[in-house]
Amino acid sequence: MTSVILGARSLSKRYGAGIALDNVDLDIQAGESVAVMGASGSGKTTLLHTLAGITIPDAGTVSYSGTDITALNETQRSKLRRESFGFVFQQGLLIPELTAIENVALALMLNGVLRRDAEAQSAGWLAHLGLSGMEGRRIGELSGGQAQRVAIARAQVTGARIVFADEPTGALDSHTSADVMTALLEATAGRGHTLVLVTHDSTVASRCSRTLYMHDGVLSPALPARPGAAPAGESAGGSNYLAGPR
Amino acid sequence: MKTTIPILWMMSRPAPGNKAVVALPATAFALVTALLLIVLAGALSFFTHPAPADGFGTAGAYQNLALVALALLILPLLTLGGSAARLSARRRDERLSTLRLLGATPALVGFMAVVEATAVAVLGIAAGIVLYAAALPAVALIHFQGHALGLAGLWLDPLVVLATAAALIVLAAISAAVGMRQVALTPLGVRTRQKAPTVHWVRAALGAGAAVVLYLGMANITASGSIAAVVVILLAAFAGGLALLNLMGPYVLKWFAGRQVRRAATAVRLLAARTILESPKAAWRQVSGLAMTSFIAVVAGTGLAVLNGAGAGIGTAEANLYNDMRTGVMITVVASFLLVACSAGVNQAAAILDRRELYISLDRMGMPRTVMDAARKRAIMSPVRIVTVGSAVLSGVLLFPLTGLAMIFSPLSLLVIAGILAGGIGLIWLGLAASAPVLGRVLAGGSTAAD
Repeated sequence: MTSVILGARSLSKRYGAGIALDNVDLDIQAGESVAVMGASGSGKTTLLHTLAGITIPDAGTVSYSGTDITALNETQRSKLRRESFGFVFQQGLLIPELTAIENVALALMLNGVLRRDAEAQSAGWLAHLGLSGMEGRRIGELSGGQAQRVAIARAQVTGARIVFADEPTGALDSHTSADVMTALLEATAGRGHTLVLVTHDSTVASRCSRTLYMHDGVLSPALPARPGAAPAGESAGGSNYLAGPR
Repeated sequence: MKTTIPILWMMSRPAPGNKAVVALPATAFALVTALLLIVLAGALSFFTHPAPADGFGTAGAYQNLALVALALLILPLLTLGGSAARLSARRRDERLSTLRLLGATPALVGFMAVVEATAVAVLGIAAGIVLYAAALPAVALIHFQGHALGLAGLWLDPLVVLATAAALIVLAAISAAVGMRQVALTPLGVRTRQKAPTVHWVRAALGAGAAVVLYLGMANITASGSIAAVVVILLAAFAGGLALLNLMGPYVLKWFAGRQVRRAATAVRLLAARTILESPKAAWRQVSGLAMTSFIAVVAGTGLAVLNGAGAGIGTAEANLYNDMRTGVMITVVASFLLVACSAGVNQAAAILDRRELYISLDRMGMPRTVMDAARKRAIMSPVRIVTVGSAVLSGVLLFPLTGLAMIFSPLSLLVIAGILAGGIGLIWLGLAASAPVLGRVLAGGSTAAD
């Protein structure tokens, strides 16, 4: 029995003359891992940001566990992101002056957890991700793959039910990329949590339970046949609704 | 060179939404120029309009003290100028990395950045000269030697103004070049070079030894109790104390920050302490001018308080000299705080722009802006408090017998100095608050940057 944890209805977003999101509908089930693929400028990162409450759409709604996050103010959305969502970015974007364990613990400390408890939980996550003994290293002393594992630990240490990942393996070689994806999937979908990731890499996308494609702001479940062609699954004049697996 | 100039011209076009990164260094240079010219004018007025000969060498005392004040303000002035130039040189990382991608050599791209930064400095310096002229009527009202300074004595020779401007332009170019050496210009972006902090405990050991020698030496000199001894004490405390501060400063900041890292219970405290620990030397450079000022404020304040308390029956010229020394100390301290405040604001703006991506990612993760702001303010204010209080206490301890006398004879003078130091800390806080809109703009820009 699965349930929709994140739903988008009639999402539209424009940047000047460019259409980033064109009437997008999407349902994501709890425990799913969803990959969004698309060319640069197709709108996939805008979709990720809109689903995560970072960007407000021009039209449409995003609901997380029944709450319309597009109706929340900036402070409320920040709180939601901090407490309920996790993020993994391409470059990790960890704080360079903090150690690995401090970077992870910071996510908990921002939610009011005492430092001692935060570091204890963080140590557990780092160990789980194969980083035992590296807790005290600064980010510059870690490899790209290790830094991404720290980012995964940071994204999951708060118990976030959804992790949003923007090109999490984009800066890694293929071997490290596979390892990081394994860690990311185990830390999220493997624990019944949800992963939404944006990638250019079809190998990475194939590891997820569902792959969607963005093209000129339109979301489809299959790769468009040719550039500019109407994506499969889109009904003329209607929204492109993509339900999760039943 | 045939192609460099046209490229420079094309690159000089302002990027949309990027006005702050041009306005900030230009404003800082305007302030540096105006303050430098005002201080220079004030100092030179004691040479062009010396006090009448009185047989006590008062005129010479004024001239020497004016030079000391000028020397004290030079370091914070140069620090601010350097910060402004570095900010200016590093404000266009995307354009610079694109040029590298197109095949321009690091030397050419670096040269272009330095030329751009210098051009911004020239604009600021020109504005600063106007600001100096506009501020003179107010400065002319300050009383020295029993009367207002007056406009006539404060107008600098145009050649002096031009020479000062030229010196500042050279400073801007050198600082920009040094700033560019600290970043790696690659086709994939402009990144700050990673340098491991190297602050050795030997600094602290040497400093502690020097402090003991200084203290013992002065304790013996005080025994003579003469006015000459007081002067020697003040000079020894001044020179020795400054050397001591610069020797120990980075190590003391490192020690405090390390302690704060271990004890930090909140995200703000942890982030701030780690920022200082990342480069204690850089943190020290930013506040070292303040250390000197706080130190001199207490040394001079104590000396003046003692002389004031023991000064019953002194002549008008001497009374004027003591009053003017007090005024001079206050002006020097306030100007120094003002410069450190500007320097902190400019450095913070540069740091925010350098770490744009990190701040945007933290915002996306839900880190409250108040936490980011509080952490970066604390990373500056913590060294400011340590340095101000530390150097004031150090000078107080080194001059302990005199400080004790000052507390008895003239407690009000010491209170005034303490009040100025507290006000100065507030001024620096305001300087940091002024850089908050830069963070706001960076985060606002980040929320629209998506494909």
